[in-house]
Amino acid sequence: MKLLLLSLGGAIGAASRYTLGLYLLQFQEEAKLPLPMLIVNLLGSAGLAFFLALYYQDYPLTLYDDSLYLAVVVGFFGAFTTYSTFSVEALSLLEKKEYKLFLQYVGLSLLGSILLFTVIFSWAV
Amino acid sequence: MWTNILWVALGGALGTLLRYGINLWALPTGYPIGTVLENIIGSFLLAFLAALFIFYSHHEWFRLSAGVGFCGSLTTMSTFSADTFLLIARDEALLALLYGGTTFIGALFSAFLGLYLGRYLIDWLKVKGLNERE
Repeated sequence: MKLLLLSLGGAIGAASRYTLGLYLLQFQEEAKLPLPMLIVNLLGSAGLAFFLALYYQDYPLTLYDDSLYLAVVVGFFGAFTTYSTFSVEALSLLEKKEYKLFLQYVGLSLLGSILLFTVIFSWAV
Repeated sequence: MWTNILWVALGGALGTLLRYGINLWALPTGYPIGTVLENIIGSFLLAFLAALFIFYSHHEWFRLSAGVGFCGSLTTMSTFSADTFLLIARDEALLALLYGGTTFIGALFSAFLGLYLGRYLIDWLKVKGLNERE
């Protein structure tokens, strides 16, 4: 049952990331900041903060017996956001010697996600 | 369109299950080491596969299931930001910095390794006389 909930949440999260990413791709300009996964990751971090604050008023690290936690937190939000594409895109900016874009992309993705999580969680809790 | 989404969903489910498995294994430490490992391993794998995706570009299902689905879901940014927040909230700012730094540098470096290993493999395959058709 646990594995089913995880799979379901993960499948829906990944499929949502893919479809939203495809939709956002039309706003992408050539040789600019890679937008789709940046927006997906910011949105997912904000969404996770909101969900945790609303349902748990806390950030439980080990609620592995809770069905909702497994399906939504580990499954959906875990799979909706991604780190591997972030690494590959950051590396590709470095290879192209786009150092300014690299710093912008890394800063906005990492600090942006942490800041957004902190602000939304503190506000909603 | 729906077939593509199904490939992503399938890879996404498998990536999520492996992430959960690694999390369970790292749970006794009390620190979010699992997510660090997942993000580093997943970045290596996606970069490695990225070189192969160009070679096998006529197999779109492979990129969608293994890349977008599996690697995308094995790694996660939402837990990364939540973990960093938790460490800061616990007054462990130094650990938060270590967590963020290890993830960022480790994942970027492993992606670098993966990409070059993938390109090396493709070059080798081409020398062996294999072309883009299998």
